[in-house]
Amino acid sequence: MTTTREVVAADDATLIGRSLHEPEVFAVLFDRHAPLLHRYVTRRLGPGEAEDVVADTFLAAFQSRDGYDLGRPDARPWLYGIASNMIGKRRRAEAGLYRAYLRSGVHPGEIPGAQVEDGVNTLAVNRPLARALLRLKRADRDVLLLVAWAGLSYQEVAEALAIPQGTVASRLNRARNQIRRDLPEGERQ
Amino acid sequence: MNALTSMWQAVPAASQDDLAGARRRLLEGMHAPRPVLATSRRRVVTAPRLLIAAGVAAAAVTAPLVAGGGTPAYAVTENPDGTITVALNEMRDPEGLRADLAAAGVTADVSFLAPHTRCADSRFEGVDPSYGSRGHSEARLRKGVERWRSFEAAQVVDVREIRIRPEFIRPGETLVLEFRDNQDARRPWRLGAWLARTGSPVKPCAPVPDAG
Repeated sequence: MTTTREVVAADDATLIGRSLHEPEVFAVLFDRHAPLLHRYVTRRLGPGEAEDVVADTFLAAFQSRDGYDLGRPDARPWLYGIASNMIGKRRRAEAGLYRAYLRSGVHPGEIPGAQVEDGVNTLAVNRPLARALLRLKRADRDVLLLVAWAGLSYQEVAEALAIPQGTVASRLNRARNQIRRDLPEGERQ
Repeated sequence: MNALTSMWQAVPAASQDDLAGARRRLLEGMHAPRPVLATSRRRVVTAPRLLIAAGVAAAAVTAPLVAGGGTPAYAVTENPDGTITVALNEMRDPEGLRADLAAAGVTADVSFLAPHTRCADSRFEGVDPSYGSRGHSEARLRKGVERWRSFEAAQVVDVREIRIRPEFIRPGETLVLEFRDNQDARRPWRLGAWLARTGSPVKPCAPVPDAG
């Protein structure tokens, strides 16, 4: 496939619509969103699982693309929703990552040395956070991290997880309260 | 929540190298047969289908395919939503398939073609330009896929299945189905499907060599 300027500039919905007749166009959607989706999955599961989850997510998206609502120009909620399901099937890997972090203080996906300067402070905050994340219910954790790490809005999280916005708000509220309780005094913003 | 937002933010976005394997899997998966999902069926309008639209004309020749032991050659199922599913496991008995479709209320003409053959052109007059469209530009075909009733009336929905939607077939029209042996277990046949206009008899398929 020749990736034309027109394809690169098109919004996600246009690409998905075109991919119904030209499947290869879907690869442009991959190139656009896979780098940050991979980062999100790596933060949640570690680098060992990320490639598989990203591949599974885009394959599942490709296979169900005829059901995509072409009125939604941004496909991120759709893609992150699918990825959330894939992550949900790997809960043990996610819990394992948090536990390993609690022991070692090292996330295997981080660039080594990136936070040397304030490493001690970071660890003082991140350890309780990892412990708190481990305790959250899966549904609450999904909502919280889609907002905090994927940067989705309430509306987008609702679309991603196919739940009402009110449910997003209540899960987020519950998760935040629980996190605050587990953080050291000075970090409860 | 600032602390959470910045937690593990030193995890970098993936590079092209990180993603090469996943990208390859996606591209391979696009061309592999779709795993059967119970939940949804996809309308498949793939390049081969466009090629067929471009003019693989029809023929009534039995092309043997490997038969699974005990599996019926085909099965016609009437669905609650009014559509009809045809599972084609083996390319034999086109007359039986035609009769079963007639029993389900669809007047059809069924041809099974050997590999690298097609039916000679001009067997019938189509209801839309999809038939005899070998000279059409790709752009026109794409537009046609969205509009022409022939494409609405019969669609490939899985590796061995097509779905017929009688609501798109008007009284007196004939659904012309030409299956060609594809010599590929993953995609055992190709389908050419058109609607013949009311009053236009469908001539028997005269197979001719075809490069595709």
